[in-house]
Amino acid sequence: MAIMNTNADASARANAAATAGDGPASRPSTTSVIGMRARSWSATAVISLVAVVLSVPLLVIGWSIIDPSTEVWQDLWATRLPGMIGETALLLVLVLAGTLVLGTALAWLVTAYQFPGRRILGWLLVTPLAIPGYVLGFVWLDTLQEPLGARGVRSIWMCAVVLTITLYPYVYLFARAAFREQSQRAIDVARSLGCSRRAAFWRVVLPMARPSLAAGVALVGMEVLTDIGTVRLFNVSTIADGVLRVWFGTGNRDAAAELALLLIGVTIVLIAAERLARGRARFTQSGSRAGLHVERLRGVRAAAASAIGWSAFTIAVALPLFRLITWSVEAQRTNQTATVSGDFGFHLASSLQVTAVATLACLGFGLLLVAGLNRRRAGASWLGRLATLGYTVPGPVVAIGVLITLASVDRLGWLPEGWLLVGSFVGLIYALVVRFLAVAYHGVEASIAKVSPSVVASARTLGAGRLRVATRIELPLAGAGIIAASVLVAIDTVKELPITLILRPFGIETLPVWVWQATSESLWVQAAVPSLAIVSVGMLLVAVLLWTLERGAETVS
Amino acid sequence: MKNKHLPFLGTLILGTLVLSACATGAGTGEDSTAPSADGDAVSNASMVTVYTGRHYGIEPVFAQFTADTGIEVRFTTGNDPELRERLIAEGANTPADVIMTADAANIELSAAAGVLASVDSDILTETIPAELRSDNNDWFSLSQRARVIIASTDRVENPPTTYAAVGNPEWQGKLCLRPSTHPYTQSLVASLIMAEGEERATEIVQSWVANDPLYIDSDTDIYKAIAAGECDIALANTYYLGRLLTEDPDFPVEIVWPEQDNRGAHVNVSTAAVTANAPNPEGALALIEWLATDGQRQFVDANFEYPADPNLAPSDMVAGFGEFTADLEAVRQLGDNQPAAVRVLSVTRYE
Repeated sequence: MAIMNTNADASARANAAATAGDGPASRPSTTSVIGMRARSWSATAVISLVAVVLSVPLLVIGWSIIDPSTEVWQDLWATRLPGMIGETALLLVLVLAGTLVLGTALAWLVTAYQFPGRRILGWLLVTPLAIPGYVLGFVWLDTLQEPLGARGVRSIWMCAVVLTITLYPYVYLFARAAFREQSQRAIDVARSLGCSRRAAFWRVVLPMARPSLAAGVALVGMEVLTDIGTVRLFNVSTIADGVLRVWFGTGNRDAAAELALLLIGVTIVLIAAERLARGRARFTQSGSRAGLHVERLRGVRAAAASAIGWSAFTIAVALPLFRLITWSVEAQRTNQTATVSGDFGFHLASSLQVTAVATLACLGFGLLLVAGLNRRRAGASWLGRLATLGYTVPGPVVAIGVLITLASVDRLGWLPEGWLLVGSFVGLIYALVVRFLAVAYHGVEASIAKVSPSVVASARTLGAGRLRVATRIELPLAGAGIIAASVLVAIDTVKELPITLILRPFGIETLPVWVWQATSESLWVQAAVPSLAIVSVGMLLVAVLLWTLERGAETVS
Repeated sequence: MKNKHLPFLGTLILGTLVLSACATGAGTGEDSTAPSADGDAVSNASMVTVYTGRHYGIEPVFAQFTADTGIEVRFTTGNDPELRERLIAEGANTPADVIMTADAANIELSAAAGVLASVDSDILTETIPAELRSDNNDWFSLSQRARVIIASTDRVENPPTTYAAVGNPEWQGKLCLRPSTHPYTQSLVASLIMAEGEERATEIVQSWVANDPLYIDSDTDIYKAIAAGECDIALANTYYLGRLLTEDPDFPVEIVWPEQDNRGAHVNVSTAAVTANAPNPEGALALIEWLATDGQRQFVDANFEYPADPNLAPSDMVAGFGEFTADLEAVRQLGDNQPAAVRVLSVTRYE
């Protein structure tokens, strides 16, 4: 079967989920029911409208290119821009290489070898997903300040290390899914032709996993390019940081928007590179489900394997968690466990409310778009890409785009007297959908594409109507992948700060906003309690994700 | 097909329903949709809505205002530039009556965008000196914050006494600065440009950069870096020392007042303004007047700052930092000079 069916756009991420469950995959199936239709004009119009509505905030930003701020660009080019591009490139290369090596190695370790703790590590190594980069950043900054010195710790190298240990799970998830799907037969053939086990890994296993690894790495790249919080902590001037520098330093919205377009350009290059790396390869394997032979390690080698896995977990999760817990205890002791807006429960409720609704909204719109956009039409494919573009721009840029859009609508006065979209709950959710729809859209798309065309055809032949096929066959079969995609949206949303900060309504103060209130005053102890809460919610979500993936792997085949 | 998938499907559909219900509910709910000017007259009259970029210790002050006047305060916090963008985007529809910032340039940019209202208040013009409010009274300072030279009490005998001297080669590798992304850095450089001209200011900033400073994006951490021996001198705001001394009275960092034979130490201000489209301008003015008078003590002392009212002495701890001359003349032009400051910071490759 095909290892990967990444529609390598903005978020191939959810495909980690989709591929982990397996099942015959093909190009987006032309015979599936969901993902093809909307033949009637009215349906097409409605769905196109939805796609357009979701892309307006970024079009508003893109509009600036019509009238380029030449002077600002000349200034920028003479001063910061070369440095920004250089630092962005270096950081990107470091983190991509780091996550590729770490993610692949750990995935191979827990897939191909048996050693004490293997099963539990297989799960635990995904958990860094639950820790926001800005939290991990301030924990490590404070922890390493003494041994490395304030100067040593604030470097692009440390920034790369922190981003690597936060982001490697994306590669790890993809790599593990790819390794699991590989058949021992290929390795056996390689070995019978004289390859050592090691050579077989380098020459057979790894090349066959290449598309999955590329997809994971592309996601990491997008996270790095749009990161603001972590790079600022470590004094790294990336392009994303530059966008805000220009915007908020000079109030020049157009120049900032143009810089954001440069960022989108870099992302497009990244996606193209991912496609190139994947090539036209559609690796298929024989139907045999005989997975890799797991080699049982003994003695020193088993101990070493355990040690590697546990050290990775300790550095990425256990140590930061320990710091957060110690600080939280201190916060408890000194009574810093509430904010001006409310107690712990209030902030938790805010976060859960926003996360739940935003996740469902992303899922709903993702399903609608996948169902409605006929990808065989070039225009529709453009719409899909446009509607999911928000994932390739930094959060604050999305927020300002949404702000301008909603404020314009408010000014039209179409809503009943006294109703405004800016500062409303609906407005916030809309912004979060614009930012994170890509994750849901691509997850849903990939999962549905994996439903075997022959199953759908059989059902149709047996007289099942389109709706019936969609609800009774496609959705259930794609279920695990869809749930996994939703969980990924939820994990992103619960960590989200810049959009919520700018657009939240009165009465909504999420946990990340609390973290911001404390960290913007360098009150690390106060920031510990909400950080710990974010991580806990994230951990729960990661557990659901893993459970879904395992279950998907069992049932869909 | 497999029946066990039915619950999933059910959940999905139910979820979508709940979603739409939520969305609708949120759209109509009072909490989430801010009422406009003539929405709910009763609650408006007794409530002021504030966008505040200053959030440290602000809530008890608002609570005291409510206790004193019976007017409720509803506020949202954020970064100064983002709140400004929001205010500008909302235009006539803004729910905000008052905008408060933690620096002067940001309120000037709001004023330039035409989203602030001039107010005619004898209380404010009598309490707040002319240097600390805009020409047409569309914003008012509520407190002063001095950005000064700070030095280690253990290792530094002759600290620099001018901003230019911070660039002396003797401080090579011993200087801590806040990155240029922060408004405090930008407004300090804006004040240099005003006093010395752009060319000279560029040279000064260049000399700082030549000292290979350690950039730390937190004044608190800059103070701590001096205490830890990471650097010997730095530029920072004084009130952070107030916070640190509360925890540790022997904190080994001292304040050096710069430019005392000259224009005085650079001061920035935290400000407040009535918005041009305030649904409740009377309430807005009442809040600002209260913060400048009855609430001034609490507002200023909560963050160890200097009062905007010259007749009010700073708190005992703050008075302990010593008396100083402040560069008040520059305050109103910090905003105009901010773009030039950003340019200087770029040209000199200040991080």
